[in-house]
Amino acid sequence: MLVWFLPMIKRWLGVLGALCLVIAIPGTASAAPQEATQSARKVVKVGVTQAVDSMNPFLAVRLVSGSLQRWMYSFLTVPDPKNLQPSPDLAESWTTSPDGLTWTFKIRTAKWSDGQPITADDAAWTFNKMMTDDAAKAGNGPAVENFTSVTANGQELTIKLKAPQASMLDIPVAIVPKHVWEKVTDIAKYEADQYPTVGSGPYVAVEHKKDQFVRLEANKDYWQGPAKIDELQVIFYDNPAAAVVGLKKGDIDLIGRLAPPDFESLKGDDNIVQWNTEGRRATYLQVNHGATTSDNKPIGDGHPALKDPRVRQALHYGIDKQKLVAETQNGLARPADGSIVPPLYKSFFWEASGASKIGYDAAKANQILDDAGYKKGADGIRTMPDGSRKLAFRFSIHTDAPSEEKLAEYLTGWFKELGIQLTARRLDSSKFTEETGTTALFDIAISGWSVNPDPEEVLGTHLCSRRPTASGQGGGTESFYCDPQYEDLYKQQQKELDRPKRADIIKKMQERLYADAPVIALYYPNDLEGYRKDRIASITPIPEDKGLLYGGSSYWPFYTVEAVTKDAAAESDGGPNPGLIAAIAAAVVVLALGGFVLARRRQGAADERE
Amino acid sequence: MSNLAWVRRQRSVQRFWRDFRTHKAGMTGLVVLAVAVVLALVAPLFIDSGVTNVVSGTGAKLAPPSWDYPLGTDESGRSVLLMIWWGSRTSLLIGFLAALLSMVIGTVLGIAAGHFRGWAGAIVLRVTDWFLVLPSLVTALVLAAILGGSTATIIIAIGVTSWPSTARLIRAQTLAVEARPYIERSLALGAGHWHITTRHVLPNVAPLLLASTTLEVASAIVTESTLAFLGVSANKTSWGTMLRGSYDWGAATAGAWWYILIPGLCIVAVVMAFTLCGRALETVLNPRLRTRAAR
Repeated sequence: MLVWFLPMIKRWLGVLGALCLVIAIPGTASAAPQEATQSARKVVKVGVTQAVDSMNPFLAVRLVSGSLQRWMYSFLTVPDPKNLQPSPDLAESWTTSPDGLTWTFKIRTAKWSDGQPITADDAAWTFNKMMTDDAAKAGNGPAVENFTSVTANGQELTIKLKAPQASMLDIPVAIVPKHVWEKVTDIAKYEADQYPTVGSGPYVAVEHKKDQFVRLEANKDYWQGPAKIDELQVIFYDNPAAAVVGLKKGDIDLIGRLAPPDFESLKGDDNIVQWNTEGRRATYLQVNHGATTSDNKPIGDGHPALKDPRVRQALHYGIDKQKLVAETQNGLARPADGSIVPPLYKSFFWEASGASKIGYDAAKANQILDDAGYKKGADGIRTMPDGSRKLAFRFSIHTDAPSEEKLAEYLTGWFKELGIQLTARRLDSSKFTEETGTTALFDIAISGWSVNPDPEEVLGTHLCSRRPTASGQGGGTESFYCDPQYEDLYKQQQKELDRPKRADIIKKMQERLYADAPVIALYYPNDLEGYRKDRIASITPIPEDKGLLYGGSSYWPFYTVEAVTKDAAAESDGGPNPGLIAAIAAAVVVLALGGFVLARRRQGAADERE
Repeated sequence: MSNLAWVRRQRSVQRFWRDFRTHKAGMTGLVVLAVAVVLALVAPLFIDSGVTNVVSGTGAKLAPPSWDYPLGTDESGRSVLLMIWWGSRTSLLIGFLAALLSMVIGTVLGIAAGHFRGWAGAIVLRVTDWFLVLPSLVTALVLAAILGGSTATIIIAIGVTSWPSTARLIRAQTLAVEARPYIERSLALGAGHWHITTRHVLPNVAPLLLASTTLEVASAIVTESTLAFLGVSANKTSWGTMLRGSYDWGAATAGAWWYILIPGLCIVAVVMAFTLCGRALETVLNPRLRTRAAR
């Protein structure tokens, strides 16, 4: 029962923490690792508001851990920084058999950071571990679901598949050194906390204090040559307000994934660059259109009217996405005329145009509902054609999410004009995930997904097979959708190895989702970040043309980052003073409270999913 | 007989009003309260819940006070003045009803605990003590989260967590009343529990109850605002949800003082008014306080 009110307690502590920070600004840096003594060392500090769940790549699921993996380990392939197409990483080249069932990767000749050579055996061991040990599936299990066997011969890695799979060149699995990891007996309990870690990426982790920081040093043996900086630090903040203060006063040099209000508060600081580009996320409404389990039995208590595609379409017409973006996202998002793939991924992005485009048109929405026989009652609320039920829907949102509350207020206002009553229902994140993903106890819910360069994962969340089982086990559905046409297209794109042709099929899938409206895309939030230009001389985003700095599926930005060389004098601070000591004491209290909250924070909150 | 009682009651009300009028602070509070309550009651004659609808907010965002928007606008361009006015209905309603609920529970259990000695009274008393030591804000948060957000659940959450102090107070007064000789006489004449508690105890604790309830309303309004600020609200605009909105949407960093100050000042004013009234009532009704004040 305790978990019910924790979000509120957390919020309260957050408020307290933010207030303390305003009062005690000098104290916030106490979480940072010790300053390097040589001033010549180039250090870049990244602030994050998400703690590392595990340093073990087999277990970690959070975005911050995924980023660390990209910095510490090489993957088979990596999205090309120019166009996001798969490009060589640890695999130099690859070939496919004509039937698409056998893939052969040539592993490049390189060294682990401890000097041992990297061979195909390391890759084979990594994949085989995931295929044979259930505990190793926690992080990226679905990636190897379709594998029959993985074998190694020198530098040659051969993967045999059960069925063709076009996304083979976007396997999100970090290749770990066999000679280190084969000694691990229980993978589920292994925290990979022996430093320095042995890896093949541009950085090597040398220190990790749980919920405080991770310190990484440049890998001198990196096959592309060492990074331009000597040290990369990842510093955790319990709440975004504190992280923004940290950036402003120089405790950190860069912070990604900012919410619009935090981003806007960076305005006016001459040393801070506000980074505002297209993001990798789509925010959409999930509509309970008659949820069923994987054996096609109805589940949940969704409103019967939502089974009618005409009602869903009317809802779609009733939403002014332009206004939503302006009011709930401070204009820092792109209204969605497409579906679940954001415009960042140009080759897979689809957008409605012409007659099929659904814009804000309340009159048309009312017309559709009138024609479909949903008559307005005396109170202005429509009823089902048989008069059995009013069109009163629940709208499930998360507790403690101001922008979702505002969104709910707007939808309530607009739907009222359509004769539809909407009531917001605030749920804490675990209950929210359960009700909207497994038990289907919702009518309309807010949802979203951070999409990978290969969109197969997000497309898969609308498959029949992802619906919960009869016994109520969640399958990871985002919509309870089960549509033969969509299933068919999904299978087609899986087999299609020609990228442009596959992109066309994927666009058709989005078109289907757009027209049938099991999900209604609202907007694509921008990627909002900030960095200090007095510390970071240059950094290349991924993709290079207006892409992401932090949170992209590549090491590229932090491999190319160049620090400003600073004078030794500029670094020196005054000695401690009584005010500072008091401030540190205040910060310690804040951190202790923060730690208390963090310790209780559960994994897998909706916006932490990748 | 009943005529005599009626005259006596009328006289005591007149005497009470004469005394109360001499308390300037109490009168000020009463006037403020009367204005607030009347405004809340007549609000539907002039505006409707549409003023809290974001879709109809047409002003500029976080605009400072102007002729069109005398108290400025909020983050969605809604008039803060109209939202305060409409929101007062929620705040006052929750305040009054929660205090009433707390009063009813507190009175029933307080009289029961004072009247029934022995094990029954002891049990009621222990339950009261148990509720007294529960951290009421946390309990209210949990209750409201479990019951879901609606006006009724917020009222219940506040009511069931704030009654123990009333119960304690009423019990003490009940003990004092029941020690008086006429209760013994009444018992000797064959009066039952019901007769004694309703005919003798209740009228004698009523004045104290009135004073305590008045103070209780003030604390219920504050609790409602606190809950709303922490995210537990009834999906309706109240002064607490406005304060939360001002925090969530960065009114402080945007320099929108009107969005923070106005709801805050309204809460302060109404709570202050209730407190002044309650204190004045206490002084008038409690002879012991009166003599002390006279000295």
